[in-house]
Amino acid sequence: MAAAEGSAPQAEVFVYPRSITTTSQTNPPARMSIASPINLVLLSLFVVLLYFHFRPKQPVTLPRGPPPVVFRTYTPKTLIEFNGEDGRPVFLAVRGRVFDVSPGRNFYGPGGPYENFAGRDASRGLAHQSFDEEMLTKDLSGPLDDLKDLDADQLENLQSWEERFSEKYLVVGKLVAEGDPEAPKS
Amino acid sequence: MADQTPILEKLDAALSELLADWNIYTTVFAGILAAFAIYSVISNKDPDVHPFLLARQSTASPIRQTGESATYRSLETPYGFPLRQGLNVKDPGAPKWTAGRRGDLRDIWKTAVRGALNEDGTTSGKQGKIYTVLGKNAVEHSLAQVTQEINVIGRHLQKAEVKTVAVCLTDSIELLAAIFAGSFYGFKIVLIPHNLPATTLSSHLQNSKADALIAEVGSLDLSLVAKANKQLSVVIWVAKYGNRHMDWHGVPKDVKGTLEVAVWHELAEEVKDLSGFDVPEYDPTTSTPAVHTVWPSASQSGEFIEFKQENLAAAISALGSALPRNQRFNSSDLVLSIDSLSRSYPLCQIFNALFSNASIALNSVAGEDVDFALATKGVSPTVIIASSRTMSEYHDHVMKPHTGLISSLGRWVQAQTLDAGNMPSQNFFSRLAQVGPTAELSLENLRLLCISHRVDAAASVRLTSEQLTDLRIYMGARIVYALTGPGIAGAISQTNVFDYRDLNGPSHFGAPLSSTEITLTGVSENQTSEENPEGQIMVAGPAVVDGKTTLSSRGRIATDNTIGLCA
Repeated sequence: MAAAEGSAPQAEVFVYPRSITTTSQTNPPARMSIASPINLVLLSLFVVLLYFHFRPKQPVTLPRGPPPVVFRTYTPKTLIEFNGEDGRPVFLAVRGRVFDVSPGRNFYGPGGPYENFAGRDASRGLAHQSFDEEMLTKDLSGPLDDLKDLDADQLENLQSWEERFSEKYLVVGKLVAEGDPEAPKS
Repeated sequence: MADQTPILEKLDAALSELLADWNIYTTVFAGILAAFAIYSVISNKDPDVHPFLLARQSTASPIRQTGESATYRSLETPYGFPLRQGLNVKDPGAPKWTAGRRGDLRDIWKTAVRGALNEDGTTSGKQGKIYTVLGKNAVEHSLAQVTQEINVIGRHLQKAEVKTVAVCLTDSIELLAAIFAGSFYGFKIVLIPHNLPATTLSSHLQNSKADALIAEVGSLDLSLVAKANKQLSVVIWVAKYGNRHMDWHGVPKDVKGTLEVAVWHELAEEVKDLSGFDVPEYDPTTSTPAVHTVWPSASQSGEFIEFKQENLAAAISALGSALPRNQRFNSSDLVLSIDSLSRSYPLCQIFNALFSNASIALNSVAGEDVDFALATKGVSPTVIIASSRTMSEYHDHVMKPHTGLISSLGRWVQAQTLDAGNMPSQNFFSRLAQVGPTAELSLENLRLLCISHRVDAAASVRLTSEQLTDLRIYMGARIVYALTGPGIAGAISQTNVFDYRDLNGPSHFGAPLSSTEITLTGVSENQTSEENPEGQIMVAGPAVVDGKTTLSSRGRIATDNTIGLCA
């Protein structure tokens, strides 16, 4: 109310001439117009505020995560493709399980210390703690390495490697020998 | 600088002219505007749960098999972690940091009798109560009294050397006591829905090879049942309060020698002094017999499901942990089940309530299709367990027709709050909304509705998001909506209690519980990764009988990783 009273003299000074031109002098309540510009401004402000308060809120949506990798059956011949060259993922097999070791590309990928294992059955190499070429099965069409000649220490070694892989990397498939009934027909 | 002054002057003049129109209306407008702005700021609350948790409600495994979807799991037990196995019961005296046992029904009863714990882990001695609702009255039972009945019935059946006990009762204290007696005294319990025709009941008894039967007096023709079931050696009748004075020891002539008939309340009275009020001692390492239930199937007979105690323990624990900490059942709750305890979801929720030291109320009319208003009379529960059929019929036949203009206005205001992610508190608008639709109910204390939907129930009783919003507003309670399936203890999945989103169409069923995981099978490989995977629902986990089951229904995983049923 204080504000209204304070501005009342001003109102007479500024509004009076205009009301003469528009409406008749004999109608003083016309000065108390409800549709004055200031009221319209306030009204529209109110409407905007109302809208923001009651506007329909869309539920939040998150983008879909990466699509899941399909579990596949590999043979030594199809696995060798995944040696990390040309940006392909790096896979290696341990006792028939194929691990996707792409996150550790620096170690297992091309140029890394373990690069010989990329795309191969690494079981024997890991058991012997050796990254040499001799540890790999040469004949890709032959049966898988059965690891029968390993001693207890080597098997334990292999076991601990396998556990480490299982913790860190995803099993994306299994490795079977060429010609195995489970092998995919090419 | 020179040409800036005129602009400022012009602005000043324009402003003065604008303000010159200030009058009494302007003051009123300004007042309203200021009041609304202040209200808007004050009433602005953080949503009950972070919106991101609703936008992705379960985790998907990073790998899938050909023709299947990824495996979806609850956020509590993501891929690579073990699913929830059991109740994690810690025996007194066990080292503090050891993992608890999986537990079984005996631990649930022991915990219920022990009473609620204080903050510091000492017992407060505050036990829950059990009420049986009879029409408008509720009869109160103490847990000690029920323990005594467990002992009486358990010993009686143990002496008779029975292996399998069929229980054909309405929801009652006797039903509950019989289930626990089975666990403590080592016999298998077969829960058979009541009100079955005598021939169906008889064939159920044959199938389950039950050698004892607990049933309500007068509910079945004993001579017919006994003739078809030569293996039956003990019958215990349960007499209601009204007809206890009668003699119920009559045995049909042709089975007189082989069949022993007893009456529950007489047994309890006779050996009252011999059996203590104490929970029987037990060795937690011994295994306890299974609980069988009948899953209603399209064929008349229904399908027997054998829940091992491990299945039940995992499911009960998962149902408990599915609720956020401040929403869990606690000792001040009164949990009313208006859905039959022979169904696994109500059964597990009632066990969950007992394990949480809440009070429970049982209603003899409970079932899948009951009158919600009638069934909730007599007590003022804080939690109600009901079926989707009951709720959908109550919504369609009572609430909807009684929603007038005023209720709709109140609903609209409340729905705004729900959309913002907050549960509306009881205020003027909530009373406005509830004036018509729930006039006949007296549920002042209700805070949670647990609704379960059978995966093979009619699609017409599947609740829509809008119906759930209606129920939330008109009953002033939060809702969890669970999907149940044959061979799965508790539920497959359950909605987040804070998920108030009103999406179009039938509501989803939330994320898998922490004791189950869902994989869709028979998924088309032609789908693009942007499409929602759709296929037959396969459920696995500790709550599933034999570890894994494939349901006949097809489901869909939505963008927010919740499961829904197709068509």
